Amino acid sequence: MRRVNALVLTGYGLNCDYETDFSLKLAGAESHRIHINELIAPGRYGASPKLDDYHILVFGGGFSWADDHGAGVLMASKLKHHLGAPIERFIEDGKLILGICNGFQALVNLGLLPGFDKKYDERRVALTHNDSGNFIDTWVHLKFNPKSPCVFTKGLYDMELPVRHGEGKFYGAAEDIERLFANNLVVAQYADENGHEAKGQWPHNPNGSLEDIAGICDPSGRIFGLMPHPEAFNHFTNHPDWTRKKDSLLRRGIETIPEDGEGIKVFRNAVEFIRNSF
Amino acid sequence: MASRLEIRLKKEITDAEGAGLRRKAREYLGLEVKDIRVIRVLTIDADLHTDQLEQIRTNIFTNPVTEESSYTPLPEDFDRLIWIGFRPGVRDTAGSTAAEAIQDFLGITFTADQAVYTSKLYEIRGNLTERQVHKIASELLANELIQQWKIYSRDEWRPQQGIGILVPRVLLDHEPRVSTISIESDQELRRISLERNLALQDRDIPIIRQYFLREDVKADRKRAGLDLPTDVELEYISQARSDHCNHNTFRGLFRYHDLATGHREIVDNLFKSCIEAPTLKIKEEKDWVISVLWDNAGVGRFDDNYYYVITGETHNSPSNMEAYGGAITGIVGIYRDPLGTGKGAKLILGMYGYCVGPRDYRGELMPHLHPRRLLDGVIEGVRDGGNKSGIPTPFGLLLFDEGFMGKCLVFVTALGIMPAEIRGEQSHEKTTSPGDLIIMSGGRVGKDGIHGVTAASETYGEHTPAGHVQIGDPYTQKKMHDFLLEVRDEGLISFITDNGGGGLSSSIGESARFSNGCRVELDKVPLKYQGLDQWEIWVSESQERMTIALKPEHANRFMELSAKHSVESTIIGEYNDTGYLQLQYNNKTCAYVRMDLLRSDFPQWEFDAEWTPPEIRGLTEPVIDGPGNHNLLLKAILSRPNICGRNWVARQYDHEVQGGSVIKPLVGKKRDIPSDAAVVRPILGSKSGIAVTQALNPFYSQIDTYQMTAATIDEAVRKALAVGGDPDHLGGVDNFCWPTIEYHPTKNPDGKYKAAQLVRANWALRDYCLAYGIPLLSGKDSMYVDGNLKGPYGERRKVSGLPTLLFTVCSAIKDVSMCVTMDAKSPGDLVYILGDTNNELGGSEFYQMMGSVGINVPKVDAKGFWPHYLALARNIQEGLVSSCHAVSRGGLAVHLALVAMAGELGMQIHLPLVPGASELSVTQTLYSESCGRFIITVTPEKKERFEKGFSGMKIGKVGIVTESPRFSIMDRGDVAVIEEDVQALKEAWKRPFGELI
Repeated sequence: MRRVNALVLTGYGLNCDYETDFSLKLAGAESHRIHINELIAPGRYGASPKLDDYHILVFGGGFSWADDHGAGVLMASKLKHHLGAPIERFIEDGKLILGICNGFQALVNLGLLPGFDKKYDERRVALTHNDSGNFIDTWVHLKFNPKSPCVFTKGLYDMELPVRHGEGKFYGAAEDIERLFANNLVVAQYADENGHEAKGQWPHNPNGSLEDIAGICDPSGRIFGLMPHPEAFNHFTNHPDWTRKKDSLLRRGIETIPEDGEGIKVFRNAVEFIRNSF
Repeated sequence: MASRLEIRLKKEITDAEGAGLRRKAREYLGLEVKDIRVIRVLTIDADLHTDQLEQIRTNIFTNPVTEESSYTPLPEDFDRLIWIGFRPGVRDTAGSTAAEAIQDFLGITFTADQAVYTSKLYEIRGNLTERQVHKIASELLANELIQQWKIYSRDEWRPQQGIGILVPRVLLDHEPRVSTISIESDQELRRISLERNLALQDRDIPIIRQYFLREDVKADRKRAGLDLPTDVELEYISQARSDHCNHNTFRGLFRYHDLATGHREIVDNLFKSCIEAPTLKIKEEKDWVISVLWDNAGVGRFDDNYYYVITGETHNSPSNMEAYGGAITGIVGIYRDPLGTGKGAKLILGMYGYCVGPRDYRGELMPHLHPRRLLDGVIEGVRDGGNKSGIPTPFGLLLFDEGFMGKCLVFVTALGIMPAEIRGEQSHEKTTSPGDLIIMSGGRVGKDGIHGVTAASETYGEHTPAGHVQIGDPYTQKKMHDFLLEVRDEGLISFITDNGGGGLSSSIGESARFSNGCRVELDKVPLKYQGLDQWEIWVSESQERMTIALKPEHANRFMELSAKHSVESTIIGEYNDTGYLQLQYNNKTCAYVRMDLLRSDFPQWEFDAEWTPPEIRGLTEPVIDGPGNHNLLLKAILSRPNICGRNWVARQYDHEVQGGSVIKPLVGKKRDIPSDAAVVRPILGSKSGIAVTQALNPFYSQIDTYQMTAATIDEAVRKALAVGGDPDHLGGVDNFCWPTIEYHPTKNPDGKYKAAQLVRANWALRDYCLAYGIPLLSGKDSMYVDGNLKGPYGERRKVSGLPTLLFTVCSAIKDVSMCVTMDAKSPGDLVYILGDTNNELGGSEFYQMMGSVGINVPKVDAKGFWPHYLALARNIQEGLVSSCHAVSRGGLAVHLALVAMAGELGMQIHLPLVPGASELSVTQTLYSESCGRFIITVTPEKKERFEKGFSGMKIGKVGIVTESPRFSIMDRGDVAVIEEDVQALKEAWKRPFGELI
């Protein structure tokens, strides 16, 4: 079994790095938290990490550059300017990129998503202010698209995860949205507790995203961005109903409660994919 | 030449900010606005070529999918236009991140005076008068303390020039100067102190003079090139002696006199006798107490490998002036305390507590900010401060009372975690040694927070900084936080502390006590703008700064990592053992003060404290005959602002970040009922967790602050135990907020009574911390909770807040999977009430609703309660409890309803089975606020084992959880007292604030 190296970006206000790193390790990856500046100038600060040494690159959640001037905007500008080429190579090598929340926002501003026709440098879709106009923390029901090429959600049909954002409304021109659906690039949609579409309505769709879009991937399925936080469901006690679930299990005489959280499956898929293809 | 970039959302895209503003204009001001759209403005005060400007416009600042932008004015077809920008010197984070991005993208470096400033334009469409638009600008958008604004009507608008180019650059045409101060006589020094806002305390002045007149001191000063004391020195001494830094009130001498019994007693130093002594005693008994009473925060053991760190404070006055700025500065500020505790702790959790005037206040008094606007601002400040720091905010309190219109209370509490050992050294230990370098990391220094309060009344010029009101910058601090944890783990830190009140003067002044001396070069301190006097650099309270002591051999690596995290760090001096604090500016000494001066015995503050017991004050029980309609009454109480759902606050706060959320602020089937406490798992992969909760009960202070304090401690303890907290590990944090206690015949005629209230509160703090074994890991006092509010006739009325204690309890939990929530889980479960209900409605919600106070305030029988608490904890650990909830404000009726509402299930309760009910009327049983009580639900299979755990204790099986969602409470002979649909109760509970987002 070969070693899968994952890199979680840190610095400049990013903040979900510890739990994302932890989730990747649970999923079997050799994961490191690496500061953006260490990638930009290897060796200048001691360590000299190289993007080429990694298989999975994660743009995690947070408030990069305080989210001023649009969430993920300044981060995208910084990375495009300093790491454009290495990231391009990373993609050509068939490796995986995951963007969560602020990371998703950075990916669409970099143009890595949706990446129509392998054009990884144009901003075609956007994540803009929630219709409510405010930051919201709530757990949502997600419906995954089984036909999507996304390697991260292979074999997954639905999942509950928390969203925590002020700018999560997915927006794009009508023809681009159509194209996303036509190519099954819409990976995750907000739904109600029974898996029916949220129809843009609060609370099931927390931000007013067009077509309830919560996450998309590029045509290769190897670049995936989503607003909800899989790394925040790394343990069964993360789920809002865990005390209720545990209580009903015990009533049915089931003493063994699963340790891992559902969210880890997303990272397991990524690790599996690398193991099989490298 | 400066340029102005204007950016707006494309027409077809919803402008959520504009829509929100429209909503507020309608709800708050009753103004119908057709449409509001926002234009972001970047004023780039730097010489860039046209092509450079175009590059940054398209590549950085304009999202082609959603936005359009131009260097020429965008506003069009509006009826009125509001421009709002910051005053000079107000923190403009977006401006500095824009400058950072521009320089990075273009590969250029701005000169010192080049910068980017952000402002906003609001296109208002609709039929509004100038005055109405002015109302929107001044009452919804801008606060004149930090912002300036202009309103344009359509006809006066010049599309070519637009708003023009407005550059709020700070220009201080001032040459830094040290001035000396005459110490001719005490009177002279007192006069100068007043004149210069030195705020020297009268009783300190003779001591200070004697010091500077000492021959040996004079000789030493001569050698250092000094004669008369300098303004730098007196500012330093004044800071160090301030109530804020020194807690003179709590260390004061109180002449306590009970006017009823005639009993007199001298109470010397509340801090030593009621906080320090009990805490040290408990520390001896509990080995999990690691470090208390000296550092920025207290330290307790989390598990074998980690320590947790906790502290709390208030940020009242600044929030009262500028709600958003004050609150964000408060939360970001408290986060520096754990970071500055021991060798530095990682922040893992924040909590909030707000006490404000009624949100719908329509009275005749005119506070600087209407309570509703103040609350909005405070909530948003803590939201941005917490969320942008990447720290979960899973618990908080909100309380409304007109008394807090004089000054609001904004409590902020923070927890951190650190490895027990760092490179073989205990993480909670730190010291400075001769030869260590003094480093300042983080933000730069401006006129911020200097003589804060007095500055508020100064008038502004176009370029004078509005420094006294700050806006915390979580982005700068988050970078510094990540940086400092990395240098900590490399073992580079000898000592670390934060720069808060008093700035460098207190962080360096206090850390230099360990080495017994220091030399600081004030000219090395990086400034936001030139022109600060030496004393201003020394006492400025500019935020996001830490002071670190470092061995010289670690300097290079430290600076390397500082650069990696793009954090500014500067060597500004060194610690030594000269016994002197020496400040220099361009190699000239401007302060030379013996380290032992501040340890010399300054006179203790003294207070007369006169206690009048409630019965002598004429308090009695009200005469209220049993209500005929208990359904209506319960729904009415559930809809009261201090009982009803305030969920919109919690939802704005990220309580999941860091991935360790175990028990969330809102629980239950629909996740909409407040939890007793929050539980987090700070070390992922470990089963251990921390439970934290808070309580405040200021209304009981109307009767007796002793009982208020006891009830508040007891409530916090019960809430922590309700989720599975460990009774052997209860850490406390006390945050007192009190009206002024110095007696003054005209300005504060009831000062002696308020002083007695403070003494009694501290006695209860001592008694109940000892009784429950709670060490006070940290705490702060904030006095002067008064305000003089303008009335309709131009008069000013003094409004004092109720004496308030916010008490925080934290508990380390070995296995979080044994935690329980308060929601009823399953039909058929048995409902128990643990603890007696007594005739204790004094200060209760029910009496308040009936317009009275009463006198039977709840009392805490710690000895009687404690065995119950131990038994409950055992039962929870054995998995015998399905749900557990501490009964608090509102009494049994309210809290039984909450348990049912949380489970979305019905309940059948038989009142006569409630322990203590036989002595009480129905209303008393339903609404008494007796302490020591829990509501517990248990599955029938576990009945025997559960009851065995409580044998011989005051517990009653009062009913069952039902499938049918009916909430019914029955009296003797199964007479229904309350018979209501659970959803109806929930609607009543949600109605008041249900619409808020």
